[in-house]
Amino acid sequence: MIKWTLLKELGEISEHDQAALDALRKRVLGAGLVIVFFAAIILLRIWFLQIHKGEEYKNRAENNRVRIREVAAPRGDILDLKGKELVTNRPSFNVVLVREDSNDIDDLLKRLSMVLKDDVSVLWDRIREAESKQRHIPVRLKENLSWDTLAYLETHNMEFPGIRIEVLPRRLYHYGDMAAHVIGYLGDISRKDLQEAGSDYYRGGDLVGKMGLERLREKELRGEKGSSSSEVNARGFEQQLLARVEPVPGNEVRLTLDLDLQQVAEEIMDTDGKAGAVVAMEVKTGRLLVFASTPRLHLEDFEGGISTKKWKTLLENPKHPLINKPLQAMYPPGSTYKMVTALAGLAKGVINKDTTFFCPGHISYGNRRYHCWKRGGHGTVHLKRAISESCDVYFYNVGMRVGVDGLAEYANKLGLGAKTGVALEYEKSGLIPTKEWKKKKYGEKWQDGETLSLAIGQGFNLLTPLQLCQMTAALANGGKRYLPQIIESVTDADGHVLESFAPQLTGELQEDEKKYLELIREGMTEVVQGARGTARNARIEGITVGGKTGTAQVVRLEQYKHLKEEDIPYKYRDHAWFTAYAPAEAPEIAVTVLVEHGLHGGSGAAPVVRAVMEKYFADRIAVEEIRKAVAR
Amino acid sequence: MFRVDRRFFMNFDWVLLSLLLLVCGMAFFNLYSASYPPVGGMPPYLKQAYLLLMGVAGIIFLVSFDYKELHFWNYPIYLLVIVLLALVIIIGNSAGGAQRWINLGFFQLQPSEPAKLMMVITLASYYARKEVVNGYSVKDLITPIILMAIPFTLILIQPDLGTALMFVIIFISMTVFARLRWSSYVILGLTGIGLAVIGWLYVLKPYQKQRIETLLNPAKDSLGDGYQILQSKIAVGSGGLFGKGYMEGTQGHLHFLPERHTDFAFSVWCEEWGFVGSLFFLAIYFFMLFWGLHVAMSARDRFGLFLAFGVVVLIFWQAVINLLMILGFLPVVGIPLPLFSYGGSSLLTTLLGVGILMNVRMRRFQTGSTLEDCDV
Repeated sequence: MIKWTLLKELGEISEHDQAALDALRKRVLGAGLVIVFFAAIILLRIWFLQIHKGEEYKNRAENNRVRIREVAAPRGDILDLKGKELVTNRPSFNVVLVREDSNDIDDLLKRLSMVLKDDVSVLWDRIREAESKQRHIPVRLKENLSWDTLAYLETHNMEFPGIRIEVLPRRLYHYGDMAAHVIGYLGDISRKDLQEAGSDYYRGGDLVGKMGLERLREKELRGEKGSSSSEVNARGFEQQLLARVEPVPGNEVRLTLDLDLQQVAEEIMDTDGKAGAVVAMEVKTGRLLVFASTPRLHLEDFEGGISTKKWKTLLENPKHPLINKPLQAMYPPGSTYKMVTALAGLAKGVINKDTTFFCPGHISYGNRRYHCWKRGGHGTVHLKRAISESCDVYFYNVGMRVGVDGLAEYANKLGLGAKTGVALEYEKSGLIPTKEWKKKKYGEKWQDGETLSLAIGQGFNLLTPLQLCQMTAALANGGKRYLPQIIESVTDADGHVLESFAPQLTGELQEDEKKYLELIREGMTEVVQGARGTARNARIEGITVGGKTGTAQVVRLEQYKHLKEEDIPYKYRDHAWFTAYAPAEAPEIAVTVLVEHGLHGGSGAAPVVRAVMEKYFADRIAVEEIRKAVAR
Repeated sequence: MFRVDRRFFMNFDWVLLSLLLLVCGMAFFNLYSASYPPVGGMPPYLKQAYLLLMGVAGIIFLVSFDYKELHFWNYPIYLLVIVLLALVIIIGNSAGGAQRWINLGFFQLQPSEPAKLMMVITLASYYARKEVVNGYSVKDLITPIILMAIPFTLILIQPDLGTALMFVIIFISMTVFARLRWSSYVILGLTGIGLAVIGWLYVLKPYQKQRIETLLNPAKDSLGDGYQILQSKIAVGSGGLFGKGYMEGTQGHLHFLPERHTDFAFSVWCEEWGFVGSLFFLAIYFFMLFWGLHVAMSARDRFGLFLAFGVVVLIFWQAVINLLMILGFLPVVGIPLPLFSYGGSSLLTTLLGVGILMNVRMRRFQTGSTLEDCDV
């Protein structure tokens, strides 16, 4: 009943109440204006976000949702002339961590380190390096897992949240370190290269060619990366694959190198611990069949960055393994230069086929005595014998008469003193001195006596094994200089040939000069085939070889003269040259070998040439032997 | 106990009911998308549907007696709510560092939600009875301030600053509506500023301060509150003119949107239905609010007017704060969009509020003399 009275009381509406109620009703209209005001703000804002900025936010939503990942392209294979696989790819299994997917990285790494048998600190270092990257980007913890480790991680993947196995193509060297200097190696792209590349092709962590053809042919070998776009949620988990663009494999590069020959050359150099260079070239095309530098590089050491310690060892090695000796090292030519002197003498009319000089074992010029290598002297010699027995006195006489600039003229005509232009890195041009050169370089007048040393290849002149090989080929083929080439063909993934070998003439002797070559070649044939030739070591049964030995003095220290050769310290021993071509009747191949500190061309270098040639002519030698056996 | 009159149907507010069901229907569909894929247990849209049925039952119950009864029931309700708020602090379930819920077995009750409606009823009842000619003096306001301050403090302790501030906003809105003297404005204004300063210095927790700072400089904190608001803006903006289509929203489905079925439910709607859909929803929603004001204006007495106005105030301010937050104008405060966001306590409270509106509307023609129609 209390309730009732209360209601009754309040239910009575007086006149006064009615007026107050009307006043309140007017205030409700005011409140309506407030609602209109806020409704307008909200509508304007929605219009601004959805219509005015709609496109921008659509893009941002897409960026949120779509994660684009690169798919590495298999790098192009490298084959030899005959199609043998030299370098291909194999999958490399790497452990990566997606930090976003792991809640206790510390604990995870502790357990992982036991599986990988790495120290935890090593793994932490990798993570610290990637600290600035977004957390959904995988951090590589270890490359090249063994099968055991891989199998363990795959079967126990539930215990390692955030850990994934990444498969990347990795270089596989079928012949170990063969032709290492030519092939080169890959390494992580440097910050500098990344900026210089300018294009958006590369990302940090990409592998690029750092040396050799891997570097020079990077663009052809690398292929085109593919990509996969996946939808990810806010936690970075991939929900579904949206699109995948397959990578385009890199182009296949076929080299002119013949691995059989290369192998012979490298092995014979390597087993004897010889440092030096072997170059073999087709005389009528310029194809480089062998291009070897020893000591070889161990390519696997370079993958993923060489350790400072190993790098230091390489730098300090007295045999300079980092230098690609056929074209990056220059040596005094020694007696191999005598062909230049001979050609200059013949062409300048200083000598002819029958011109003779008497060799008493030395010659006096100015107030100095210039010795022949043969102390007792050669007696009366003509050109052919002078070449075959390498008589120094004969060539002193020729050089003296031709003069320094005459020698230089023909050296240049044979391609010396300038880069051959081969498509390899850091080629040296060698050095062919002239009077003008000495004036410029030392500010001194040319001494005529120096011409004598020059004539037998012991002066200022320097050349690379490649230059000498090219010269030998030119002598053999009748005076044509072909550009040495190392690429036989480049073929894309669909089999289209993008580039193929074609001989390229870079210089040629004049017709009247060519006729002298026959005579020089006769001398060179005698070097190998003659009874007193200096390179009888290079003889091959059934094949006529022409060549020339050379001994390049490293120092002229008299104190070593009396020592037996094997007692001279390694670094003071003479370099040994042998350059040759075969078959002498119709030359096909020119082979040049330099053995650093190899003492004598005939003993140190000629056997290497012979081994390469024997391999090259193996079939013909076999046929010859059968024929002989039948005849018997 | 009571007799249902023929006029019950004639006077029933069918417009408001239609608007209500339209809004709740859209909310239901949106919730299905916003909570997809289901994570186990009863999916939120189904829960919401059951609660909607419960709420409609509550509305039918509420409209069956004259709202005048609330004058009497006001104080028992007030006491009950205060007890519940106190209980929350003692035995409540916590989430995210705050104790806000009481587990009722079938339902997690968040007492601060009904407390808002209770506040509206209490203030309406007070201002309806306490009529002053030239506006209220400060002395007149002491009682309502105390009535407001008790739940405000209890909720602040939980701590739930957003909801606590709602009480202040409801109080200010209804009190200003009821008219104050100029002197009251000045005194209360100065006191309010003083309290705000003290609050900032001594009461606010670091995370609450951070939220306000984030609002002023969102770029500073891209993975915290700023991130949530940014993702919400991206969701709304990327909807464009026509939206990405129902169930096609990427921001929501890929979890970029935080709280996508509760506080940020409307972001999902904007993303999937675009400008056109947002406009459609807001038109209906605001029309419903205007209809609420219309109900207030047509109320037969002061109490009914205050009640209707208070319910509109309650829904309006929560909606405005939620929308401004979603659109990047306010910090993340944890205020839902009434009827649209998932949340049982909020839905039931709002439905009861709408029931009060309907009650006021239905009895707009009745005077004291018709009280006999209601069999009390």
